[in-house]
Parts: sequence; C-alpha cells; structure tokens
Amino acid sequence: MARCVLLGLAALGIAWLARLDYAREISTNVLDLIPPGEQAPEAGLVRGLATDLQVRVMLFALRDPQAPAVPPAAAAALFAGELRRAPEFAEALDLGGGADQTAMGRAIFEQRATLLLPSWLGERHREFTGTGRPESDFSPWLAERAAADLEAFLGRPEAVAMGPLLPLDPLLLTPRLIERARLIAPSGAGTGGDALVWGRIAGSPFAAEGQGPVFAAINRAEARMRAAYPGVELRWTGVNQIAAATRVRIESEIRVLNALSLLAVFGVGCLFVRRVWQMLHLLPVVLLSLLGAWTASTLVFARLHFLVFLIGALLCGVAIDYGFYIYMQPALRPGEGYESKLRRLLKPLLASCLTTVIGFSLLLFSDLPFIREVGFFVSAGLLSALGAAMLYFAQIDHPFLEARRFGHRALRPPGRSVARSSRWVAALLLVVAAAVAVSGTCRLRWRDDVRELELPTPELEANAGALRTLFGDTPGRTVYLTYGATVAEARRHLEDFLNYEAASAGQAHPASLGLLFPTEADWRQMPARLRSLGGFSADYRAALDRHGFEPDSFAPFFNSWEALRQHPPGGDYASLYRDAGRVLTGPLALLYNTRGPSAWFLTVVDRPAGPPAPAGLFTVGVNELQTLDRLFTRYRWSALRLSLVGLSLVIASVFVIYPFRRGLRIALIPAGSCFVVFGVFGLVGQTLNLFHLLGAFLGVCLAHNYAIFSSDSSHSGTAPPVSIRLSALCAASSFGVLALSRIPVVHALGLTVALIVVAALAAVELEPFLRGRRPDA
Amino acid sequence: MRLPRAAALALLVLAAAAARAAPPLLSAATAIADPARDPAWSALFASLVPRENRESSFEERRYFPFRRQPVILTGKIRLAPGRGLSLDYLTPQPRVLIVDGQGLLMRDAIGREVSLPADARTQASIAALVDILRFDLAELQRNFALHGQRDAAGWTLAFVPRDPLLARSLAALIVRGTGDTVAEIELRATPRQHIDILVRATRRDAVFAPADWARYFR
Repeated sequence: MARCVLLGLAALGIAWLARLDYAREISTNVLDLIPPGEQAPEAGLVRGLATDLQVRVMLFALRDPQAPAVPPAAAAALFAGELRRAPEFAEALDLGGGADQTAMGRAIFEQRATLLLPSWLGERHREFTGTGRPESDFSPWLAERAAADLEAFLGRPEAVAMGPLLPLDPLLLTPRLIERARLIAPSGAGTGGDALVWGRIAGSPFAAEGQGPVFAAINRAEARMRAAYPGVELRWTGVNQIAAATRVRIESEIRVLNALSLLAVFGVGCLFVRRVWQMLHLLPVVLLSLLGAWTASTLVFARLHFLVFLIGALLCGVAIDYGFYIYMQPALRPGEGYESKLRRLLKPLLASCLTTVIGFSLLLFSDLPFIREVGFFVSAGLLSALGAAMLYFAQIDHPFLEARRFGHRALRPPGRSVARSSRWVAALLLVVAAAVAVSGTCRLRWRDDVRELELPTPELEANAGALRTLFGDTPGRTVYLTYGATVAEARRHLEDFLNYEAASAGQAHPASLGLLFPTEADWRQMPARLRSLGGFSADYRAALDRHGFEPDSFAPFFNSWEALRQHPPGGDYASLYRDAGRVLTGPLALLYNTRGPSAWFLTVVDRPAGPPAPAGLFTVGVNELQTLDRLFTRYRWSALRLSLVGLSLVIASVFVIYPFRRGLRIALIPAGSCFVVFGVFGLVGQTLNLFHLLGAFLGVCLAHNYAIFSSDSSHSGTAPPVSIRLSALCAASSFGVLALSRIPVVHALGLTVALIVVAALAAVELEPFLRGRRPDA
Repeated sequence: MRLPRAAALALLVLAAAAARAAPPLLSAATAIADPARDPAWSALFASLVPRENRESSFEERRYFPFRRQPVILTGKIRLAPGRGLSLDYLTPQPRVLIVDGQGLLMRDAIGREVSLPADARTQASIAALVDILRFDLAELQRNFALHGQRDAAGWTLAFVPRDPLLARSLAALIVRGTGDTVAEIELRATPRQHIDILVRATRRDAVFAPADWARYFR
C-alpha cells in the first residue's frame, strides 16, 4: 500500500513537471522579484522603465582601425539600415548619420512656437512680476531683455553654428533648449573615431526570442557591413548579451556546485559509514522531497524565480536529516520492527518537521512574492521529505545504516565527571561565543542591493560600460525620474523638481526632455499673454536697434510673431505630447513616458549621486531605483519580523512538546548558534542582506533539528546520535560548497547556513562539558 | 622726410593697379596642385608643420549678416602637436574650446564640459580643422582644394572643402601670415558671415604647466 502511494505520487509529480514550459515559468530577471502590485510607486516605475524600455536597448560602436580618428559613418549607416530591416529590431538609429536627428531637430524647430514659446513667455512673465513694475511695462521690458540675451549669445561658441537660424528665432527658443537639454542629447560625447548605432529590440531580452535570433540578426548585419567595409570593427552590448551569458554561467555554476556538493557529502559519508553504498537509500528521500517541493510550488505559483530553486536546492540539507535519523537509528531490541521503531521516533521527527514547517509557513505572509515562494517551497519540501522518508524505509527490510565506531564516541566519556580543565575550556568558549554574539551583533551592517542577485560578468560589464561611455553615460551624472498620475501632473512635478534643483544644486545643470514641453498652466495662459503683447514687435525692433542689430534682418520672425498673435495654438494639452511623440524616436523617446498608469520624465544632472530628492517632489533617483535598496530593506524588515514570529512559534511549540529544561536547551542551541554566527559577521565587517537573513532562518531550522534529535541523548548523558554528526557535517560541507558560488546571494546563503550548522554541532557536542555531573549520575 | 604729394599719389595708383592685377584668391590661377612638390610653396608648408608647443594671443571677430558691427572675443590660443588646439576665451565670457582627435570639447568657467554631437557634419568640420592644424599635406590634399597667393605683406592660403556636407557650413578657410608665422585665420561661411581670428604675440616652445595641460587640453 505504502509502495503504491509512493510510486503513484512520484509518477504524478514527474508527469506534471514534464509538461511544464520552463522558459516561461521560471524567470531569471531580478526585477521579477518585485511584486507587480508593489505599493511603492517607484517600484512600479522601475519595472516599467527597466522591463519594457531600457532593457531592450542595444548599443553598437563601429571603428575603422585604418583611420582611427574618423568615424566610419558610411559603414554605420549601412549597419543601422540592415538592423532596421531585421524583424528582431523595433528601431535602429545611426546617431552620426544625422538624417533621423536632422528630421527630429527640424520638427522641433518648426514647432518651437507651440512647444517652447509658452514656457519662455511664462518664465519671463514670472521674472517680470518679480520686478514689481506695472503690467503695461511688460512688452518693453521683454523686448529689452530678449535683445540683450541675443547680444550676449553671439559671444558664445555655439552662436556661429546657430547663426543662420537666429533671424527666425531671435528669442533663442531653440538654442536655449539645446543648452538646457545638452546632457540628454543622443550624442557620442568624445567618441573619437567611433560611429554609433542605437537599437531597440522587439522581444524581451530575457526570453529566447530576444537573444538567439537577435544575435543572428546582428551577425548578418555585421557580415553585410564587413562585405562593404572589410576593415571596420564592431563592438556591441545589450542586456540580452549579459542575460544569455548569465544563464549559461548559472547553469554551469549549478552543475559544478551540485557535483562538488555530492562529492562533499560522499566524502563525509565515507568517513562515518561502514558501507557507503547504503547511503544511496537516502537519495530517493531527497529526490522525492525535491519532487514534492517542485510539484507543489509549480502547481500553486504561475511563475517562479530561479533563485527559489537555487535556495530550494539547499532543502536537500534539511530533507536528508529525517532520512539519516530514521535510517541510522539502531533497533532498540533484537527483532524490533520498522513500525515500532518509527513510532518511537515519531515525536522528535514530527516535532522537528512540523515546527520548521510552521516557521517557514509564516513566510507566506511576506509582501515579497519571492519570500512567499521560498516559504512554500521549503515547507512543501520538508513535508514531502518526512513523508518520503517514513514511506521509503518501510519498503526496505531492516533499514539500518551502520556507522563507524568513532561516530558514536562521545567527546565526554559517559559516566565520568568532567575534568575541571575541560569544564573551564568549555565555559571559556561559551563566554567567548556570548561576547562575540553580543559585540558582533551590535556592529552588523545591512545593505540590500538587488544587483547582488545577479551573477557578475565582469568582461561583459566592462564592455557595456565602455560603450555606454561612448554614448554619453558617465559616472559623474545622476538620473532622476519624476512621475505623476497624468502627463500634466508629471510635467508640473518636473517643474517643481527643476526649481528645487536650481535653488539647491548650485552649479549642477539639470537636463530633461520635459523641458521641450510647457507646463499645462503656461500652455493655457499663452493666448492671453500673446494678446497682451500687442506692442512687442515695435518694442523689440527698437531694442534690437539699440543693441547693434539690423531689425529688418529679423523680418521672418516678426511675420510669424504677428501670425501667432492672430492665431495662437490651441487644442488639447495632451495633443502636444502626441504630436511630439510622432517625431521623437530612438534614445530620446525613452526619456519620457505618457502612456500607462504613470507618466514620467527623466532628468539628468551633471553631478555624482547626491542625496535623494525630498518627498513631495515625486522624484526618485534612478540609481536608487536600480539598486532597489529601500524596497529590499523594507522586504528584509518584513522577512525579519516574520522570521522572528516564526521562531517564536517554533520555540513555543517546543515548550509545549518538551519539559521546560529540555525545551530551553532545544531553543537555545539554534538561537545561540545563529547569534554567534551573526556576531562573527559583525566583527569581520561582513555586510549582510535579505539573503543572509533567509540563510539564517534555514540554518536555525537545521540547528533546531539537531537540538531535538540530540535531546534524548543529552538527557540520558549518552553521545549525540551519529545521525546528527553525519547530517550536520554533510550539511556543513554541502552548504560550504555553496559559499564558493560567484553569485553573491548564493555565497551569502551557503556561508550563513554552513557556519550556523557548525556552530550548532559544536554546541551539541560541547554542551555536556558544561554540566558538572550527569543528571543520571 | 615727407613724400611729395605726387609721389604719394603715384604709389597709390601703383598699389591699386597691382591689386587689380592680382587674381582672386579662390581662382584657378591660385590653385596649388601639389604643395609638397611645388617649389613656390613646399618650403612654406614644411615650415608651417607645428613641431613645438605654441602660445599666442588672439582676437576673434565674428561677423553676422544681421549685426552692424562684429562681435569681438579675445583670449589665448595654445597649440600642442599631438594633443590639439585650445582656444581660451577670456572675454566676453571665459570658456575653453578644445579641438583634438577626439572631437570638439567646450569647458565653461567652472570646468564643466560639453561635447558637441558626433554628427557627420560636426565630425567632418573637426577632422578638417585637425588636418589644417597639423598641416598634414596628404590629408589636406584629400579633403581640400588648396589655393595660395603671395604679396609684399606675406602669404595667404585658402582651403576649400571638397566634402559638400562641410562646404555647406564652411565655404573656405583662409590662413594669412608672414614667414612661418600665422597671423590670421578666416572661417568664411558666406561673404556676410565669417569669423576672423587675428593671431598675435606668438610664443614658440611654450612650456605648459601640468595645470595648463589639464585645463586647456584633454
């Protein structure tokens, strides 16, 4: 019957897992760790910004080694054209070719009266209001101010290039926009001999369609470009390049770590077990535990992050405990049947498993789906492990894994009093551990950075950094994102933020594409302001003459000014953005968003990251968003609260099951081990994050098992069961292997669990030395 | 000694006649087909190749068709072979303009940098300027039609872009000087819009302090 249940459940689980589409249901994107309904608005923004737009951008740089100072413009144009033809690319712009940018520039210039004039008039009017002069003076004041600005502008280097446009735009609407938005211009600042091509792929860079087919399209375009320009070299980067490399490296890392982990467990087994091959009976228990966890998790959750499985792999370390405990338990008397043995072991097994499950189940109440998934995965895995261990060993005649003799030997020989020196050494160790725990825990430093979840790819990141620099992205800049419920509100918030920057940032120069658009208030007031400037043409002619200009040269401007006064632009404020959206393409189109539930504008400030923008400006630093540190700190605190509540429940249930003294011992061993390890981290200056906390929770659960399984032996004054030593050393070695991982969080988890397990084993082994006489002596 | 009125008048007439006789600068008669082998010009071109750091004062006169008087800017010009050219504007607004192999860079009074866009026209202009600064004959012949004239005051060289894109913004670049010293550079867009840079007090073998290299070059 048990066999049928076991085989039936295993078959169902395997059948379920076989039909899953793993590429769709398992995510490797760290941003998928953020819940879609996250209440922090910036989290939703960064999801939209990073998952929909920026991650699809690809950067290309072409260089001709034969002429290193001259960008190979023709080759870049050809390459961009080939990319545009590929269906894998939604956009491809040759930034040096100028055709697209010229068209964009021309369109903005032609719409300057609609887009730029309202802001200019609004700013000047506010300035004029500050002078306290009567409203009737506005026109001559404005004319004098505009003529003086024009005269000053002619002394600037860019005036030469703008010269032909000035008779059309003497109010300097376009030069002013260029000056204020210079940081966001899609230029190759200091590109030297590189010709730059900007691309945006159609598919997600984290999915298969955004990787292989895109790389093939790039290869085809490069081949065609090289056929025409054989000497030209191409460099490129994109999130898909890093994502593809990361996936390969993660797969390789998991293979290597699993192999090393198995080797470590095998090595420990060889030390402790007489017939190592018998350890193979533990394999089905672990596999069935993982099968149960995978099946249950994929049944409950539509999409899981790969880190859940990576952390879930640590479940092996816990799952094997039940197998060891049942399998290594000798018969109490000759001929004792399995059922009788199991009945005897049921209390510690259930106490250990159910209390741990209670603890992990509390993670189901976390805000972070990832934590909920881990809690569910581990809980399901533990229940599966216990069930599988109990059912599996029922299939074997006389299941008993015999350990070598030294494995049973107590450090403190039974029935003898502890030597005074040994007791002193144990007491000293306890004092040192307590001191480390107290002093180190006070020095703990926490820092959460979502980027630590990623596997570093230094070469690709260096290449990406070099290319981003060519495209004008320098570390001395800070990028802010200002948002609002509507585009009008977002533009108003941007105005507030720019005013705040102007007042507080000193020499820093904020640049935003939002400057291209007026605020709704300026837009609405423009017709009235134009009407009030009836004498401006005459005033401005006179002012220009006074400043050494020939007013007749500006006839085109005066004609269009009068036409504008007669027919001021009207219509819907949102139409400004719709019209401009048809013109703005390429990198500029990624600097603002008017669709979706939130509208936003990006602002670049030429200073390294400073303090965050004050609350009320609806502005967050994109660097802050990229680390998501505030968000993850909140999640960490949430996980910590839940962990502490979980541990309290675990401890409370232990006191319900066991007498007070034994309950106290069972509670102190895991808690003490955890604090000592955190103390060590504090003293060595290790910075901790959410994943150290999760590792500690897992480690405490393991230590809790050892404390429960050694409770009877401690009470009776015998050596701890060999299963605990074997289990703890297996867990310490396999988790220790994970500490070698290059993924920072896996390293953190492995190290934390391994150290807690070692500390708990040491506590179990040394605890008898602290007792003067045995309770039964 | 004062010249008799008749002699002065005769000199004026002679000068006017000489001026009428000289062909226009940008004509076939003044074309220099191969400056490296042309005995009239090869020595001058060789002497103009900068071999040492130079520092001069300059006055830049910007002529715009919509303004009665030129806008005047003054400052110092520094030339470092291998590093580029630096125009240190002192008036009316202090700022530094750097032209080198990496492109065109502007630094304002507080050292804030602005690079000009890497569009084809800007790149072509910069490449042209760099070629002229180096007096790299091979590159100059490839990118410009060369013209030259000599008179009693010295010599005049004109560089007419072959690239139509560049020619749209720069009709000709004219360099005037005496001996191996450049006295004036004119960037002519149209007859009514041009920039004349008058170079004065050139100091050869100028020594730039580390702070100068950092401020005026990159």
